[in-house]
Amino acid sequence: MLRRPASIALLAFFLVTMGLFCLFAPNFATASNFENLMSGFSFVAILAMGQSFPILLRGIDLSIGAMVALAGMVAFDLTMLFHVPGYLILPLVLIAATSAGALNGILIVYLRLQPFIATLATLAAYRGVVYAISGRLLIPKLATTPITDPWIVGIETYFDIGGALGISDYVHLPWFPLSFFLMIAIFITFQVLLLSTKLGRDIYTVGGNQEAARLAGINTRRITILTYAISGFCAGVAALVLVARLTTSTEALGTGMELTAISAAVIGGVSLQGGIGSMFGPVIGAFLLGVVLIGLTLLGASQYVQQILTGAILLAAVCYDRYLVVQRQRRAAANIGANT
Amino acid sequence: MIARWNLKSSATLSKLAPYALPLAILFIVTMFSIAEPAFLKPENLIGIIHQMNLIGIMAVAMTFVIMTGGVDLSVGPVLAISGLTAFFAMDAGLGLPIAIAAALGVGILIGTINGTLISIFGLPPIIVTLAMLSVVRGLALIWGGPEWHLIRDQDAFTFIGTGHIGGISFSIILLLVFAGAVMFVQKRTPIGLMVAGIGENERAAYLSGHRVRLTKIAIYGLSGMGAALAGIVQSSQVHTSAAVYGEFGTELDVIAAIVLGGTSLMGGKGSIGRTLMGVIFLGVINNGMNILNVTLDIQLITKGVIIVLAMALSELA
Amino acid sequence: MDAGHLIEARGLGKTYGNLAVLIDANFTVNAGEIRALVGSNGAGKSTLIKILTGAIVPTTGTVKVDGKELVLGSPTEMINSGIACIYQHSNLAPAMTVLDNIFLGRQPTKRFGLLDRKRQRREAEELLQRHAIQIDLDALVSTLPTVKQKEVEILKALALNARILLMDEPTGWLAASDVAKLHATIRTLKSSGVAIVYISHMLDEIFAVCDTVTVMRDGRIISEGKVADITRPRLVKLMVGEKLANDSAQAGKHKRMARGIGKVRLSANGLTKRGVFSDISFDLFAGEIFCITGLIGSKRTEFLHTLFGSDKFDSGEMKVDGKVISFKSPTQAISNGMGFVTEDRHREGLMLGLSISNNLVMATLRKFHKFGLLKHKEIYSATGEMIADLNIQPPDPIKPVRLLSGGNQQKVLLGKWLNLKPKILLLDEPTVGVDVGAKAEIYAILRAERDKGAAILVVSSDLEEVMTISDRIAVMVSGRLVAIHDADKTTLSEIIGEIGGAAQ
Repeated sequence: MLRRPASIALLAFFLVTMGLFCLFAPNFATASNFENLMSGFSFVAILAMGQSFPILLRGIDLSIGAMVALAGMVAFDLTMLFHVPGYLILPLVLIAATSAGALNGILIVYLRLQPFIATLATLAAYRGVVYAISGRLLIPKLATTPITDPWIVGIETYFDIGGALGISDYVHLPWFPLSFFLMIAIFITFQVLLLSTKLGRDIYTVGGNQEAARLAGINTRRITILTYAISGFCAGVAALVLVARLTTSTEALGTGMELTAISAAVIGGVSLQGGIGSMFGPVIGAFLLGVVLIGLTLLGASQYVQQILTGAILLAAVCYDRYLVVQRQRRAAANIGANT
Repeated sequence: MIARWNLKSSATLSKLAPYALPLAILFIVTMFSIAEPAFLKPENLIGIIHQMNLIGIMAVAMTFVIMTGGVDLSVGPVLAISGLTAFFAMDAGLGLPIAIAAALGVGILIGTINGTLISIFGLPPIIVTLAMLSVVRGLALIWGGPEWHLIRDQDAFTFIGTGHIGGISFSIILLLVFAGAVMFVQKRTPIGLMVAGIGENERAAYLSGHRVRLTKIAIYGLSGMGAALAGIVQSSQVHTSAAVYGEFGTELDVIAAIVLGGTSLMGGKGSIGRTLMGVIFLGVINNGMNILNVTLDIQLITKGVIIVLAMALSELA
Repeated sequence: MDAGHLIEARGLGKTYGNLAVLIDANFTVNAGEIRALVGSNGAGKSTLIKILTGAIVPTTGTVKVDGKELVLGSPTEMINSGIACIYQHSNLAPAMTVLDNIFLGRQPTKRFGLLDRKRQRREAEELLQRHAIQIDLDALVSTLPTVKQKEVEILKALALNARILLMDEPTGWLAASDVAKLHATIRTLKSSGVAIVYISHMLDEIFAVCDTVTVMRDGRIISEGKVADITRPRLVKLMVGEKLANDSAQAGKHKRMARGIGKVRLSANGLTKRGVFSDISFDLFAGEIFCITGLIGSKRTEFLHTLFGSDKFDSGEMKVDGKVISFKSPTQAISNGMGFVTEDRHREGLMLGLSISNNLVMATLRKFHKFGLLKHKEIYSATGEMIADLNIQPPDPIKPVRLLSGGNQQKVLLGKWLNLKPKILLLDEPTVGVDVGAKAEIYAILRAERDKGAAILVVSSDLEEVMTISDRIAVMVSGRLVAIHDADKTTLSEIIGEIGGAAQ
């Protein structure tokens, strides 16, 4: 559920952090920096939103990095090896990534595997598939040839909103990357899905109390598979954004991204206990990570420090999540106590 | 369909389960030797054990963690940072014992931090150790930089990874001794029972007067120590240490070996002996695929499929 | 009366192998009737309920609703024919609003699966109005007090057009004032024509709210009638059986050892845990069996946990062997010679996957090692003896406990603590789900321990058990000890009176 006070607190924290970096980090408060932030973290926000769905069901998806690589390589092969037109590639890539995600869900539901072991196994397997289908390894020349398909590279387009509104003389607005708008579109779609559809209610119900959901006639298996498929879909979108930016794909694409995505989701208040959280949190969580990481780089911290910080932030976020859980339990106990 | 099959044959399956792994190893060895007779050469068989040495040490050390329903994803970077510790200690002119103690100490410390966060604060093991993976890797990179550090003129240190005693390489002896020690702890001391008890039913173990939190901290410490020991052996074998060792995927191999050995991720069941068998199984598969020139891609896919199958089978049985 | 049965079950029976848990049960309820269903544990109530909710298929018999025969064993069929069950544990999604929980899993939708919020709210409000229930539809369920959560569950059932509402121990977690609120709700339901089957151990509640009562014992329906036509003692007698009345008359056969050998082992003085229990005082003597009885939900389990150090009390004083002490952990309690046979042997007692032998030494590992090494030989001989002493079947020390019968599992759990040679032994419902033979054996073991000088504190809701084994009996009602008796100076009816709150 959208816990409004928590969301506002998170947003406030985000704004304060950003304010601090604007004040103290050199070149932070510039249009080009915000452009970097948006282009560098919109796809992280997309991944975080995807990751939130399994977490809402008390699961986890460790395979999203591998799925990003898989989707990226499918896009690469289709355009470089088979010269498939871009308008077909986009849906095909998304279908491939969604199926990979759904397969995770199927393993979890029908083989009754724990989510983390199933997705750890597919993390290896999907990465293997990436090597197996890699057009770069097949024809090394392709590795250095940039992708030129307009549909794919078109994703890496920037819009001069300021110029379009004719206010660029007064404010120097950053150019907005298309990926930012993609992120917004996905945000709106998923937020509506979660908060305003029957399906969304069902996802919250399964996450909050699986037994109650089953008794209420909800098909919990289908919902579980669906959430992992959504996670795969988001990995597909993120892959397209990355391929468009790099104009190529690599076998190592997306390595370690599960860490960032889980962090962003947990920071965004998606509880590991299931059933609590919305799309707003993960998006803010992703950009909060972005602000901190970019800000620290501008302050001269190495990328290694960022790595440490990503881990530390994740730890802090789970501690906070745990703290909220304990608070809820206390309140519940007090509820019973107060009535006696 | 799977469920129905499961009902009918689960009795037979659970009877066969203890022998499934040796049989599977035998079967695969036979298959590989038919496909490629060179597989059975003694050098190759020893080679298998060499290849699996590091994974073996870490798997032995992490078995208790898995038995209590936890997991330690941070072993890769711990391996790296312990190698670096040994290097810097020796570089600073400290003696070998101090260097090794320091390296092991770092591993134990990180494991203990994991264990504390998990058992005292009640945080989920996956997330804690995933975060620690990132933190420790970052620390290792800051400390050691991205480059390789050559370990020179340290004969005693080099002996750990490359020396031989009575024709058997020292690193294998080290693995066996370490596994023997942990096995001894499991079979002959109360700790083994406590770990099994916590894995089976943590609440009941607590109500039986066990120091559940302390035990859990200790076993994560042991897992960290195993990774550190593996780091020492690796640095010694390749005469270098680097912050990038124990790359992403190491922890997957370790967990795969333990799981293949029949240790349940739901906690409770597990033994060091069977973990070693799981290590051998994984080693045979890796080696066989290398000999048959199976490419990396198929190897990765096979590994994933094997883990899924092993887990699904243990669920059924 | 035969004409308008809303629900009519005929000849229901259920057997598992040779074990008949429900025998030829005929059960009918009319619209607007509140029917109490009572019986002690294992009487067959839950089997009957499971058949009516479609969770299990009966071996024999039929169920008709409005004269239409139902296909049994399908939860959806039961729900569609208007039977709903409110279980003891919550079946709500805590992080969602009341409105969403009422329509859990079947929120009305418009096109594209979008929620029809207006319709949802309108239907909910109609529902509230029709049944005169007041509740904030937008509150999160987790923020509601427990009684309101029960009402949400009732509304959830009503939203499914339930006409027959099965309520399993609906007041288990409620305070007395809330019980009255819930009963008011139930009465409004009755007036709108809903039939209610009210399953409860609480006699007060049955007499307060129910019209008719069905008594079950040993898998059979043994009596049915109007609540107005029956007295409390008669109802209790029907529940526990004439045999108990006779047995308790004969119970004097066993030597009663009130105050044991006269040495106080454990003494509680005004122990209080806010909102759970308050001002509990008693002395427990070496060589006696002291039973605390009362209804399920009278907070006895919670009390035992605070004695054992697995929970804390807020105020009061506890003495062991005359020394003021409060255990910070079970480890400390055990090293002071206290053992605790927990109620839920699967959740809190045994390690089901481990062997009998390992379970038997689980609480006493410190006894079985020297310099950190396990003394396997001693473990082997000690567990062998324990298995023989307690007659654990099969007598195979390496058999996983999972494969034993309930009675034998309970004996293993008991053996685990007897290995400690406990000075104080706490037992929580020591014979739940245990067959008659094993029960007798467990009683004999407890008497033997008592005679060796152990101080034994038993918490039990099974009055037959209490009358059989205890030397002294205390009655606990809603977290307070209301009376302590010497067992040979009290009668079953006096205890029943106190449990039922006849004193009030």
